[in-house]
Amino acid sequence: MRIIIVGGGEIGFGLAQALAESHQVFVIDQAADVADRFAQLDVQFLLGSGTSDDVLARAGIADADVVVACTGLDEVNIVACALAKQLGQPRTFCFVSRDDFLADAAQEHHRLTSFGIDRVIWPEAQLAADISRIVHAPGALDAEEFADGKIRLLEYQLHPQSPVAGKRIADLHLPHGSLIVAVRRGDTFFIPRGDSHLTAGDRVVVMGLPGALGDVRGRLLGDITTSRQRITIVGGGDVGLQVAERLDAAGQVDLTIIERDVARGELIAGRLRRALVLNGDGTDLELLEAEGIGRSDVLVSVIDNDERNLLASLLGRQLGVPRIITRVSRRANLRLFERVGIDIAISARAAAVASLHHQIEGVSVRLLAVIEQGAGRILELEVPSGYAPRSLRELAPPLNSIVGAIIRGDGAIVPRGTDRIAPGDRLLVFTTHAAADRVRDYFTHVSN
Amino acid sequence: MRLAFVLQLGGRLVRLFAAAPLAPAVVAAFYREWYDASGFLVTAAATGTLGIILERTGSRGVHDSDRLRRLEGMTIVAMTWLVVAHLAAIPYVWAGLGPVDALFESMSGLTTTGATIFTDFGAFGRGIFFWRALTHWLGGLGVIALFVAVLPRLAIAGRELFFAEAAGPIDEKLTPQLRHTALALWRLYAGVTAIEVLALVAAGMPLFDAICNSMATLAAGGFSPHGASIAGYNSATIDWIITVFMFVAGANFALQYRVVRGSRVALVQDEELRAYVGIVVGATLVLIVFLMRDGMAVPDAARHGAFQVVSIITTTGFASVDFELWSAQAKMVLFFLMFIGGCAGSAGGGIKVVRHVLMARLTVRELRRTIHPRAVLPVKLGGRPVPEDTLRDVQVFVLFYLLTAAVGTAIVTALGADLMTGITASLACLGNIGPGFGEIGPMGSFAALHPLSKIVLTLQMWIGRLEVLTVLVLFRLEPWRQARWSSR
Repeated sequence: MRIIIVGGGEIGFGLAQALAESHQVFVIDQAADVADRFAQLDVQFLLGSGTSDDVLARAGIADADVVVACTGLDEVNIVACALAKQLGQPRTFCFVSRDDFLADAAQEHHRLTSFGIDRVIWPEAQLAADISRIVHAPGALDAEEFADGKIRLLEYQLHPQSPVAGKRIADLHLPHGSLIVAVRRGDTFFIPRGDSHLTAGDRVVVMGLPGALGDVRGRLLGDITTSRQRITIVGGGDVGLQVAERLDAAGQVDLTIIERDVARGELIAGRLRRALVLNGDGTDLELLEAEGIGRSDVLVSVIDNDERNLLASLLGRQLGVPRIITRVSRRANLRLFERVGIDIAISARAAAVASLHHQIEGVSVRLLAVIEQGAGRILELEVPSGYAPRSLRELAPPLNSIVGAIIRGDGAIVPRGTDRIAPGDRLLVFTTHAAADRVRDYFTHVSN
Repeated sequence: MRLAFVLQLGGRLVRLFAAAPLAPAVVAAFYREWYDASGFLVTAAATGTLGIILERTGSRGVHDSDRLRRLEGMTIVAMTWLVVAHLAAIPYVWAGLGPVDALFESMSGLTTTGATIFTDFGAFGRGIFFWRALTHWLGGLGVIALFVAVLPRLAIAGRELFFAEAAGPIDEKLTPQLRHTALALWRLYAGVTAIEVLALVAAGMPLFDAICNSMATLAAGGFSPHGASIAGYNSATIDWIITVFMFVAGANFALQYRVVRGSRVALVQDEELRAYVGIVVGATLVLIVFLMRDGMAVPDAARHGAFQVVSIITTTGFASVDFELWSAQAKMVLFFLMFIGGCAGSAGGGIKVVRHVLMARLTVRELRRTIHPRAVLPVKLGGRPVPEDTLRDVQVFVLFYLLTAAVGTAIVTALGADLMTGITASLACLGNIGPGFGEIGPMGSFAALHPLSKIVLTLQMWIGRLEVLTVLVLFRLEPWRQARWSSR
């Protein structure tokens, strides 16, 4: 495929890296110094503006299959998509960073069409949604929802006192409707069987119905605290405000937001109903101590600067905050942050790149989520008509994949070996990164 | 300040007011009270003449390019109210009252206070009672608001005038054009008044009384043609009807306009209205408990409890019973309500519910700031932050209001009234409520007070109706020192 990427920033680079092997990639950026970075990749770099006919023509817009506009300016991205649609017939993906007019859900379809945009990607909103989901699942390192919330996925880390450390999965007797789909131990990531053992320090990914998952946390971690959560958000930028708005609207939390800018703080305080907005710096130890931030259950650090985020998070850890969620802008920093003791480091851009990569590549299979920075994936497959119903036990899916849930009509089942799959079912398959292609092929093959 | 400009616009407003006394002249003539009718005609002639003289004098110094400034607007409003009150006193003087008493009654009418110096109601004709009710009705929504509605030419200068006269801390326009806003409000006001007249007539009240009482109700006034106020009609139905309409008069008319236009949601969302309903219901329940403890039966306690609570909080001042005879506990509830007042943008006076809501939130904010010194704590109303200068205005208003009440109390008491009379007379006049406790109770009269007390209370009504600052700013020397006859 011929793919044109407008904007050579962090997202553009990540995407080019992922796509360069198997596609013709053109990158357009106005800054000459960006070019050096792309020189190491097998892509064509064009210096110029993505909103210019001439530059797009040089990138071969007439034959392009995909255009991704991911500069830092929303307006430029929108114009680039509109222009690309006029000069050719590519699929267009537009990145936005503000909740202006493209993010208006009610108007979305109409506006997108008139601007020639096929899909809008708003990494900050995605990140805010992810963070607030994780915050809402006490003790969890990750949380996802599928099929309109009928199926949830949670990730927990087993601490040394966990009642299940050292036990066989088959002996756990987890509630019906829940399933351990993956375990990460150190750097290995695998899909366990009934006879696998769990050890302290394992990160365990559980999939299941919301009702059943309520008990799983107590089973795995051994503690059940149900009091109101105290949450501190450091940084009131786009992401911080969105996370705050989600948590504030849901209620049942005590929310504190620390923002440096006075005017921004006033805007935030005006938009939220119950939250406490503090004017100050999240890296100001005196302020954190005076306000008792150490007693928070969760600290969410979402400043748009990795170094200050890290500092605020480490201060929070020092003060004794048990759960720390940190935004990471540079993908290279993701692992680093977790290594120095941040529980949850998430990157808006990394998630956006992974999701976009998949959308460009695989058309028949939907990627619903990536877990553990891309090590695990959740795919959605539809069982085609003409498929002979059979039980899961008769199916022999490739190694390192597991059917986590069956969506049938309006209901969802977390299957056991005896459950049958039939045409029209949608399967949520959990797989590792390495096995994803094999899974796709296998289920397509079985379907035929 | 350009005096010529003030005189010209003020004179025009006074001249326009000359039409008002013609209505009671017709009523007096209808009842063959020829002497009173002539008094109203004299009033109309005097008002018209004075207005024309002022306008002519001023217009020589006014240039076409002149635009009204805020201070000039406030001066015009304050002065027009004062001059009009004097002119509206002429019929009372004509009917035999002394000048101080006449001015008291006239100001009490225009400012919708409803405090009376009448002792013998039989001594006055129907024309006079109609005049009392009409001054209420015109003053209730605002004389200037009426002129803005009727006269397109006033609309440009009207902005400053309209908001200087309007009640409440938040400027609110329903439509982009001020004139349409004023017109819409007056239509609503007149319409609701007409409905109340019909309801009262249906409940058995004579038509004349129904008209006078309705005009006094919707204006949150309190003058009744009956010497014993609403208690004189001795009907539970009438009491309940008036309770409902007093409640309406104390609620924001702009809000009611939106509801009539089909926006029901506004009613539930409005925080001031919710607080208003909450206070009324809460105070009524407490009062019912006290009245029952004093031996009143449940239906009577509910009827009189609700009536008096609504009457005092909306600053109307009607009475369905002589509450001066109640126990101290029951009177305490009414005393408390004297500090509250109606909603912003209503006919009611007093401090206003919205200011209390904001003051409560300011208090909470200061408490929270003590705990979190670095917190950003906007005070919100209806989910939106209230600008800091509006909040400062509210605090200053409440402070000045209470100080003015204290000064009034001191003077009235010093001049011979007992303390309870002094306190409630000052509160009742400043808040445009009407009756108080003691000798100025609902069946009593202000007649026996010292003449100087009456003048002070008259000033308080004026200050209270124009929301304190509009008047008090004129007591500073600065505007007058800077005053010029003309801009050139």
